[in-house]
Amino acid sequence: MICRRAFLEARSALSSSLRPQLRAITTVSHTTDPSSIPETLINPGSISKKSPKSAAIDPQSNSLPMAITQQPSPLPATHISIEAPATPSALTKSVKELLPLLRAQPPWYITTHIHGRPYLITAGDTIRLPFRMPDVQPGDILRLNRATHIGSRDFTLRAPAPIKGTRDGPGKTLYLDERLFTCRATVLGTESEPMRIKEKTKRRQRHIRTVKSKHRFTVLRVMEVDVKDVGEVEGA
Amino acid sequence: MAYFRITLMRSAIGLPAQRKGVLAALGLRKRMATVYHPVTPDVAGQIMAVKELLDVAEVETALTKAEMKDQRRPERGYVVERRAGAGLE
Repeated sequence: MICRRAFLEARSALSSSLRPQLRAITTVSHTTDPSSIPETLINPGSISKKSPKSAAIDPQSNSLPMAITQQPSPLPATHISIEAPATPSALTKSVKELLPLLRAQPPWYITTHIHGRPYLITAGDTIRLPFRMPDVQPGDILRLNRATHIGSRDFTLRAPAPIKGTRDGPGKTLYLDERLFTCRATVLGTESEPMRIKEKTKRRQRHIRTVKSKHRFTVLRVMEVDVKDVGEVEGA
Repeated sequence: MAYFRITLMRSAIGLPAQRKGVLAALGLRKRMATVYHPVTPDVAGQIMAVKELLDVAEVETALTKAEMKDQRRPERGYVVERRAGAGLE
């Protein structure tokens, strides 16, 4: 009883002591002041209505229409949503306008796809892949070149939604333009799970066959996640 | 040359042996397996025997199993830029 009362008192003391700090904490973004963002960028209706048909897909390229996205939320923190047309060599006006804003807010997170599976990472992360990557040694440097989202605190650049497969053909995931970002990871080595032994037998048979499994997994460390400058992308 | 693209949508468990035999002749072992056969009266008759289990479409080219698998394979997603010890050479 005594300890419970003490706990209650401690809790109330704690909450009351925190309250002034809690009042000061806010989810409003102070880095991007909503009043400083031009009206046309905040109002998605004025920019984003590019029909999907105009974004004709170039079969040679995987860098397809991208969107820097805004989640409509009551908070002033903004993510702005625009679709880009498809010619892989040209960036749209909106991407050109907003990529610098994204670039101005390091660090960035990125959702890379390795063998089609997404991994949400940032610089300094360690990824343990669910498979052993063949033909790599510890110390090799990989450039991860397929990504669907790159984001910072207030902005996200994302690729369009995947195209669903039909019975006539498989679906397709659309990725961001490779020229807009760099993501490098180094191979640290391989981990393995503990040895698993599966026993296989039939009923009323005394013989038991055992099968051993000890899977290996490649571990990567993400060294850098970088968003390129619009000038570099266009100049190259 | 036109081909039937035949996909097994329903299982043949519990069906008579004759219909199971037709599926074996078409090469359909599992549900959602897809095979290509040329458009001939023989194949059409086989399809009619088990038509309730199949999804059939007529296409121009027949894909092999490897080609179908290749279509579904996702991109690798990485490129090996530098090998360990490359700078030491």
